[in-house]
Parts: sequence; structure tokens; C-alpha cells
Amino acid sequence: MRDIVLRIENLSKYYQMGEVRVKALENVSFEVEKGEFIVILGPSGSGKSTLLNIIGGMDTPSGGNVYFDGELISNYSDRELTMYRRYKIGFVFQFYNLMATLTAKENVELVAEITGSKVNVEEVMEAVGLGDRSDHFPSQMSGGEQQRVAIARAVAKNPDILLCDEPTGALDFETGISILKVLKDVNVKYKNTVIVITHNSPIAQMADKVIKMRSGNITEIIINENPIEPEGIEW
Amino acid sequence: MKKLNKRLLRMIKNTKGQFFAVLSIIITGLFIFTAVNNSAMNLRDSLNSYYSITNFADIFVTAAGIPESIEREIEGRENIREADVRLSIDTRFITDNEDERITVKAVSVDGKESKINKLFIKEGRYSLTGNEVILIDQFAVAREINVGDEIRLSLNGREHKFKVSAIASSPEYVYLMESEQVLLPDPGNFGVVFIEEDYLRKISGSRYFNEIVLTVNNYEQINKTKDQLEDFLKKYGVVRVLDRNEQLSNSVMQEEIGGLETVSRSIPIVFLLFAGIMLANMLSRTVKRDRTSIGVLKAMGLTDNEIIIHYLKYAASVGILGGLLGSIIGTATSGAMTGLYLEFFNIPMLRVKIYYQRIIVSVLLSLIFCVGAGFWGVRSIIRINPAESMKPEVPKSGKRVFLENIQFLWDRFTFSWRMVWRNIFREKRKFILIAAAVAITTGLMMMTMWMNEIMDVMFVKHYTDFMKMEYNIGFNGFQDKRVINEIKEYINYSDMEGRIEFPFEIKNGRNSKIVTVIGIEEDTVFYDFHDLEGNRLKIPKDGILLSSNLAEALKASKGDKIILKSYVPDSEEKYVTVAGVLVQSLGINGYMDIDYMNREFLHKGIINGVYINSKDDVKAKLNDVKNITSIQTQGDMQKIFEEFSGLIVAYMGFMVIFSGMLGFVILYSMTLMSINERTLEFSSLRVMGFTKQEIFRMLMKENSVMSLLGIIAGIPLGKWLVNYIGVMFSTDIYTIQGVLTLKEIVPAIILTIIFIISAQLMTYVKIHKLDFMQALKSRIS
Repeated sequence: MRDIVLRIENLSKYYQMGEVRVKALENVSFEVEKGEFIVILGPSGSGKSTLLNIIGGMDTPSGGNVYFDGELISNYSDRELTMYRRYKIGFVFQFYNLMATLTAKENVELVAEITGSKVNVEEVMEAVGLGDRSDHFPSQMSGGEQQRVAIARAVAKNPDILLCDEPTGALDFETGISILKVLKDVNVKYKNTVIVITHNSPIAQMADKVIKMRSGNITEIIINENPIEPEGIEW
Repeated sequence: MKKLNKRLLRMIKNTKGQFFAVLSIIITGLFIFTAVNNSAMNLRDSLNSYYSITNFADIFVTAAGIPESIEREIEGRENIREADVRLSIDTRFITDNEDERITVKAVSVDGKESKINKLFIKEGRYSLTGNEVILIDQFAVAREINVGDEIRLSLNGREHKFKVSAIASSPEYVYLMESEQVLLPDPGNFGVVFIEEDYLRKISGSRYFNEIVLTVNNYEQINKTKDQLEDFLKKYGVVRVLDRNEQLSNSVMQEEIGGLETVSRSIPIVFLLFAGIMLANMLSRTVKRDRTSIGVLKAMGLTDNEIIIHYLKYAASVGILGGLLGSIIGTATSGAMTGLYLEFFNIPMLRVKIYYQRIIVSVLLSLIFCVGAGFWGVRSIIRINPAESMKPEVPKSGKRVFLENIQFLWDRFTFSWRMVWRNIFREKRKFILIAAAVAITTGLMMMTMWMNEIMDVMFVKHYTDFMKMEYNIGFNGFQDKRVINEIKEYINYSDMEGRIEFPFEIKNGRNSKIVTVIGIEEDTVFYDFHDLEGNRLKIPKDGILLSSNLAEALKASKGDKIILKSYVPDSEEKYVTVAGVLVQSLGINGYMDIDYMNREFLHKGIINGVYINSKDDVKAKLNDVKNITSIQTQGDMQKIFEEFSGLIVAYMGFMVIFSGMLGFVILYSMTLMSINERTLEFSSLRVMGFTKQEIFRMLMKENSVMSLLGIIAGIPLGKWLVNYIGVMFSTDIYTIQGVLTLKEIVPAIILTIIFIISAQLMTYVKIHKLDFMQALKSRIS
């Protein structure tokens, strides 16, 4: 039996820009199974970030439903969405967005503290390959290292879903691959569901499922029977 | 949230310049609050307990001749608890210097302790027999007289020797002044000596007493009791009946303490308001800068309240730390400040208490102000959408600033001046705050300069322009006018006129006041009267001139008919027309034609003193003249004022530092904030080839424009403050009036500019240290 962690039904999102109604998402539907590695692929303006924000409880839809573990979250109040973000979702952003005045380890500990997670922070730091850089401040780290901290921070609360918004967008090829490897390792080791959004199509090769988007619609959902290891990806 | 607290501590560390700027303003405000308020409370508490221990009188009666038996009669009357009759005579203190004319009031006391106005023995013993006396502390200190020393007094023209058996303080002379006409204490030239009652009566030849001091059961009925006493004692020639609030020393003390309380309540509020505005501004900018971090915290699952509390901890830490440090420093210095007051007030049991409640109140006050201001600054956190915050902020729509519409003017500005104007118009709030701080600094500086000037002007004006006599001779009671001829034989003089200085109760409707009314020649050369419009006033043939503070107290104006009562036995109340209201900076008086005064209220042809202008050494020449009790010279008054001016200089120094600090700190911290926020802008300018000096000059120009506006706005503010001070601090002793002139405005502006330039130079260090190139690379939230 399939273990569905996330179900999206006819999701729509519109923005009112002055007198113009802009469509960001329209009738988007798909399902995500627990432990899956999903890549949402699409060019800029295709609605993938909006979709990620709604899944992550940072935005609300104009229509349609989002179910998490069978519970309708698209009707959640602000407070409920906050708690949903706190305990269920981990975010990794394109530009890392670390707290500049906290060290790498403290950035991770902050999340563990907020959620009361019992995760061993040192172990998570080791897992992302930063065991020896724990006490450095973000300004003393490279982009790749900062993104590893961001992943560790997201993982530290042991979220059900890890949402990654263009995690390699600001990185060079080699660093990008190493980050994808960390995400895959986390996916395997902690059995988190990982959703990566990217415009970089080669990344789709490592996904269990690829959701292609264009102009706010899903154009194709591909089940990848033979995902490859990140090291095998090239762009 | 240990990690968020750690972030907060590092945030404080990274913004230490601004943090300490706000902190220093709060510390200053609460330092003034606690130091001044504690001093006022110390003085009030000590005074009250001193009064209570010494059984300070509630009513003071002066009369012509009171028999001893009256004491028992009065004690049986309604609301009277105790009564004590006494004899009080002005005597001359004899020194080896024959030129000195020193008045010592001899007051009779019981051989053992008195029941009212008990003396507080500081040295020696309270046991008076024969020629043993107790000397008032301030006089003993000023004259270096010790227990066991011998002093000489001239009484009724005869010299008497006394032995000082004790040195004591008296609740009646906490502020040792001869009379309200003297204005400032001069302990070296006026003293009080307490002599055993029977002995004083014997050597003065007085069968009767001339004063009664009384305590009452219920002070709220004091006016009724005073009226009843006045009626009852009419036959004994009541001169005046004063209650405790009108008693000279106590009224000065109450006014001084009241003034301290007013200062302690008003000035700190200005400082706290500015600290609050700065904090709100700082935190709102921090929230703006931390927009992405706040979005991330929200994405992590922190609630709005948790994030708001995180930022409010910054405000709370400034508030608590500022409140604690300010109130602790204030409490610690209040002892020294109270000590400064003791130079003028003699309260032997002054205890400097630590008012823990005041520290708690200060901390709470500062906390409430800071958290309130902080909330105002961080309330926009609620509006930050986590998803939106990850994207770069939409730039503000670039509108033309107001000045750009004036093409003629705009075309004349250089590129950097155009940037200056645009920044000013786009960051109105910040620049309004700078201008307001500079305005307050200028205003306070002007007020300080003016107060220094006005005190000087008040004294100089009073003793040279208003009163023109070189000598004011006081007699022991009324004398026949012809006594002038006798004095004329002793000295060469250019002008000499008889005068009367006599207390009257003046009533106008419900308002009444007991003041000294001065009777002078119609064509006197010793006074120069002007009305409030500056027109010269002459002494009217009939009617009375009132000093402006007296007219205000009585709510009387020119043409009104007011009632005068002289306290001379069998004299009646009479209506007198107010012939004019005159400007008088020191004291509170009425002025009448001496003949009119004699005719209507006293007896024909009497005087109780003379005014003299003479090149002679009048003091020396009149030394042995009988019935002269006091010789006051302009030089004496000037000397007293110079001693008093030490306190004014100390006060001025404090005010200049505090007000300058306000401008300095706000300008410095706002510029620091500007530098932090505009690092990218400055980096771009550096890439374009701007030097650090050119960027600094640009910031200087922005601040200078607003500082200039602040200085201009500070001038009317200063005028308002000066008027406020005039109204708030005018008492029966001082009438603070005067306009601001360039003499005060120019130095105030110069001092303000010095503080502004210092703040600007401090920010240059920050600009010099900034790594502009690094800023262009940085993308860490």
C-alpha cells in the first residue's frame, strides 16, 4: 500500500496586480509518497516556487486542497500553519539565508531548540560534511559550505518533508553536485521526503519522481524507475 | 531560546555604538530623575523629621508688646496646642574691625530646652545661665567661633559680653536670611544668638515680649486660627501673623524642594522620549534590514509573537540596563548633590537614604518606555510574509523630490548636493529626528546661557538700575524723621532720604499676601521704576505701586482698589488704589509715597531707615550711632551673589553637558545607522571613484542641512523654554523675566555646533574602517 505524505488537489493561486489578475498556479494535482525524492522542474515563472511556498505553509492557495498526512492544511489558520512549518517542514533556500550572527552549529541548534528535537547536532554536521567547520560564522564559509549548513539546519528538526528551493542555483557545478549528494544522503539516512525545485533539468535524473511545470500548470509527471547518483549528473 | 538570545547579544555587540547611544540618553534621563528627585526627597524627609523633632512652630506672631501671661491664655484657645512667648531683638555684633556692621538677632529662650522651635545642639551643652549664649551654627562656622569663646553684642547702645556655651541649629533658620529683602543667605554678616529669657529682658530693659510661636492641633484650620489670633492679639499691637508656609526659611525651602521636584519630573521625560524615538527608529530599521532573517525564522515555524519578543528583548535590555545604571548612579550622586544644597541649607539631621523603590520605579519607567517604543519599531514584523521575504525587496518607486520641481534651483546643485537633497527627502523621519534633537540641544543650551545671564542681570539690574542706594541703613524701630539731620552730621553724602519698610497685609478679594511695603519720597533718587511696557513710573501722591509678582499673586491690576492693613495697634483696613505695576526682578513689594503711608497708616513724620549715597566709609562712621541695627551695602549684596554663583556655574556645566550629549548621541547614532544601511550605496560610489573623504563630506552635508534646520527651530524652542522657566520658577524671591538676546543665542549655537562637529568626526572613524568592497560581495542575511 502506498504511503502518501502529501496530496495536492486542483491547486490554484492567483495574484491581483492592480487591475490585472495574474495566474501563478492552475489546477495542479499530484501526490508525494513518504521518503520519495521529488524534483519539480520548470523555467522561471512556471509557478514552482509558489507551489513550494504553499506546500511549505508559507503561502495559502486561491483554490484547491493540500493534504498533509491526510489532513487538509490549506484551510489552516496562521497559527496552525506556523506549527506545521515548525514541526513538519524543513526549508533549504537558494541563498542559504543563514543567521549571520550565529555560527554554523548555532544555526542548526537554533532549529533543534525551536522544535525541541533530540537530533544529535554534531552528527548532523558530520552528515553534511561540516564536522570541522561547526564554529565558523557564515561570513567565514564558502557558498557550498553555507548551503550544507542550511541543509543541516533543515534536517536538524527531523522534518517530514524537506523543501529545497533551487539549492544549487547559486553554486558552481562541483559544489552543486556535492550539495545534491548531501540531499540524497539525508533522504536515504533520515528517510525524509525531499522536494527540490529547480530549473536545471539534469538534476531530474536523480529524482524518484519528476514534476514538470510551465505557466502554472503541470505539463508532465515522470516516474523515474532508475534514478542515478548525483555524481553521475552533468550540466 | 538560548540561540536566539545569543543572536541578540551579538546583535547588541554589532550595534554597540547605537546601543550605547540610546543607553547613555536613558542613563542621563534617569540619572537626573533619581539624583534630583532623591535630593528633593532627602531634603523633604530630613526637613520634616527635623521639624518634628524640634517641634517647629505652625504660627509666628510678631507684636509690639506681649505680656507673659498671654501664653496661658492662648493655649486654652481653639485649635492651639502650645504657645511660647519670646523676645527678639536685633543687636550689633562687635568685632575688632570697626568698619564691620554685623547684625545678630538675639532671641530669648528658656534656660532649659524650649518647647517650640527647639534648638538642635551640635556642640556644647544646653544650659544657660547669665551671660551664656547659644550661637547659630552657620554664623559660628562663618565667623570661626567655637564653644567657650567670648562674643560681644551691642544692645541699646551698650556693649555686652557673652560666653558661647553651645553651637546649635534652629528649624527657623535652615535658610539663614535676615529678611526677605536680603534674598540670599550671608552667614558671615547675619547671625542668631539665643539668650536666657530673664537675662535678655534684663539687659534689654524690655518688660514685654514681642513674638509668640505656636503649634496647632489641626493645620487645615490654620487660616481661621490666624484670624482669631489676630483679633485676640489686636490690643498688643500685632505686626504680623505668619503661618508655617509663609515663614521665610521654610517658604524658601519648600520652593527649592518644589523646584527640584519639577525639574526631576520634566527633564527626564525629554530624555526618555528621545531615547524612545531613537529606539523605535533603530529597531524599525533593524527589522527592515533583517527582513529575510525574519522570513527564515517564520519559515522555521517561529510565531510572530516569538519573533517580536526576540527583538523587544533588545529594547528591554536597553531599558533595564539604562534604568538600573541611571538610577544607581543617580542614587549614588544624590548624596553629593544633597551635600551641595547643604552649603545653603542647614539641616543637622540630614540623612541620605537609598530609595530602593525609586530604583524600581526608574527601571520600570525606562522598561515601559523602551518596550513601548520598541514595539512601535518592530510592529512591522507581523506584515513580513516569509515567502516574499526571500525575494529581494521591491525598490521604492523613485519619485522626484520636492526640490526637483524648482528647476531653477535644482539645476544649480552639483551631483553630490542633489544626492544629499534626495536622501533627506526620502528619509524624512530620520532627518526630522536629527533636526528635533539639534533643536532641543540648541533650545536647552539657550535656556542654560539665559539662566546664567539672567541671574547675573537680575542681581546687577536690581542693585544698580532698580535700587540706586549705596547704603540702606535700618533703625531699631521707628524714629522721628529728624534723625536724618543727626546722620547728616556724621557723613558727607550726595543723597540721603528717609524710608519706611514695614509689613502690611494686602488683600484683593479672596487673595491676600503679607509683604513689606516701602515708603519713599515722591521724587526719590533711590529707585527707578518701570512698568511692564518699559515706561517710567513715579511714586504716586496717593495709591500704591505693586511689583509684578505681587500684582499677580493678588490678581490686581492698575486702577484696582485693594485693602491694606498695617498691624499697627488700632489701625484700620483701608482701600488703596493700585497706581501701577512695576518690574522688579528680586523680592516682592509694594511702594508708596512716605507721607501718604504715614498719614494713612502710621504716624506723621516717622521713618525706620535711611537710604544714602556717599563716598564716605559709612559703615565706619555710623558705627556708634545709637538705634542703627543694620547697614547694608551694594558691595555686600554683590559678594553674596558671587558666592551663590558657584552653584549656578555647577548647574550650568551639568546642563551644557547633558543637552550637548543629547544632540551628539542622536546625531552620532543616526549617522552610524545611515552608514550601516547604505554600505552598498557607498560601495557603488567607491567603485565609481569617490574617495572616503568625499563620501564623508556627503554625509556631513546631509547632517549639516538638518542640523541647520534644527538650530533655526531651536531658537523659538529656546524662547518657549525661557518663558516656561520664567513662569515655573518665579517665586516671591525671584521674578524671572527677560528676553533672549544674541548674547545668549550666539554662544548657545556655537556650543551646539561644537557638539555636532564632534559627533560628525566620530562617524568618520566608522567610514574609514568600512570595507566597501566586501559589502558588494556579501549576501548573508
